[in-house]
Amino acid sequence: MAKKPSLGRQKIAIAKIPKKNHLQVTFSKRRSGLFKKASELCTLCGVEIGILVFSPANKVFSFGHPEVDSILDRFLASKGARSDGGGSTHNSGTRQLFEVHRSASIQELNMILTQVTEQLEVDKRRGEGLDKATRSGVGGGGHPRQFWWESPVQEMNGMEELEQLRSSLEELKMHIVGQSTRLMMDASSSFMAPFLGLEYTARNDHGDQFDRKPDRDQVNNAAELVQYLSFPQENGLF
Amino acid sequence: MTRKKVTLAYIGNDSARKATFKKRKKGLIKKVSELSTLCGIEACAVIYSPYDTEPEVWPSAAGARRTIARFRNMPEMDQSKRMVNQQVFLRQRIGKVEEQLKKQRRDNREKEVTELMYRALTGLGEGSSALHGLSLLDLNDLGWVVEKTLREVNERIRSLTTKSPSLTPPPPGMMSNAGNGGSSKSDDGLLQEDDQRDVKGVLDAPGIMDGVLSLQQPWYMELLKQSEGLMGLGKFGGCGDSSYSYSSGHEMMMTHNPPPPPPQSSLSPYLCPGGQSLPPWTSNFFFPS
Repeated sequence: MAKKPSLGRQKIAIAKIPKKNHLQVTFSKRRSGLFKKASELCTLCGVEIGILVFSPANKVFSFGHPEVDSILDRFLASKGARSDGGGSTHNSGTRQLFEVHRSASIQELNMILTQVTEQLEVDKRRGEGLDKATRSGVGGGGHPRQFWWESPVQEMNGMEELEQLRSSLEELKMHIVGQSTRLMMDASSSFMAPFLGLEYTARNDHGDQFDRKPDRDQVNNAAELVQYLSFPQENGLF
Repeated sequence: MTRKKVTLAYIGNDSARKATFKKRKKGLIKKVSELSTLCGIEACAVIYSPYDTEPEVWPSAAGARRTIARFRNMPEMDQSKRMVNQQVFLRQRIGKVEEQLKKQRRDNREKEVTELMYRALTGLGEGSSALHGLSLLDLNDLGWVVEKTLREVNERIRSLTTKSPSLTPPPPGMMSNAGNGGSSKSDDGLLQEDDQRDVKGVLDAPGIMDGVLSLQQPWYMELLKQSEGLMGLGKFGGCGDSSYSYSSGHEMMMTHNPPPPPPQSSLSPYLCPGGQSLPPWTSNFFFPS
């Protein structure tokens, strides 16, 4: 079975958390969530926000749209009778252009975020489907799941069964290696044959793949082979 | 709670937007307040909107000014180190989700291939027919899962025998390697990690033997060392994009030469037990620099 799900949403009293590590974790998660909510509010409603948060370890996290500093300056300025603060983009023409670019890229990022999140949901659902299929034994081949060896190895206690499983696995491994090798031989031989002056003929079951022209040199020397095959890698030759 | 999903984009409808703003602003303030209380930390929030002349401020204008002062008194670097705007924040979020996605897909793949393994185990009696339709990628990932399960089995056997030594005799010598490997190392490594590192350079480039699960975890390494006599089972190095294995092809050539050179001499550079230095021409071959 998959790992145990978390405790879920639990009601919590709004008072300082007593346990230090619990506090750290909470801070980390909630800060992240807070910024997320702020980001969404900015996007959805087109407003400007600045948030400052000091961590338990005395570090500062800040979120600002359009920028932390511009919001803070604006706020501080509005309380006194100060003239507008510095800002290289105060010329309204450039500033507007800047803002247009910025909001375009934010828009794009939001779309990407949405897409990726959706993809994650799709794959999560797929994962759950796979879990269910495994449990109910309907996975593709439709074989029953009563095979004892499907349960987690950690829970097995029968020595005999374990050893039987081991030998089956070893056997399977051999089969896999054999099949892989066969595939690779097919692939590389059909590829290599022209370069080595060998004619490739259809593979028969005994694995003898080549008709050799008797008067051609055999490549039995590594250096020769390298010569034959040393073409540039970036080429789309193969 | 919300019943409909809201797309992450500016709300065109004026009244809807205003309503959303009111609700979410309230929620945001609540969240800041909770964060501050729960964790005993100082915070402030300033919200400008077209709906209010004055910004919404938490905890208060005075409180916010105090917090801002504390902020501004910090060194420049400390201020900007954890500062984000929308773009930066969104990129971070995207990165996080992409990581989760990668992990989820990897887990899914492992589940799939494990199912495949169960089916293959069932069909062992009929020969290796179950494996015939599979691509090299599938086979490689399958091998990885088989290897992983084997390690778990050996570990389990070991732990059971150490608990009650009166049970079955220790596993045969061939398997003792795998047993050791399973216990002390994580799933990522195979035994003889040093050897693995030697050859890792060769295998780093993408090649046909790189399955989704088995990337950089060559499960067949142990096998290579054990099967020196096995013809053609050379190292399958990567060789650029289209990844055909020259090495195995090459060896196949050699073994077809009449008379075939004794397996040991032609292949031993590949299969020396230490998994040590490959013959120089191999490296050039795959990675001309």
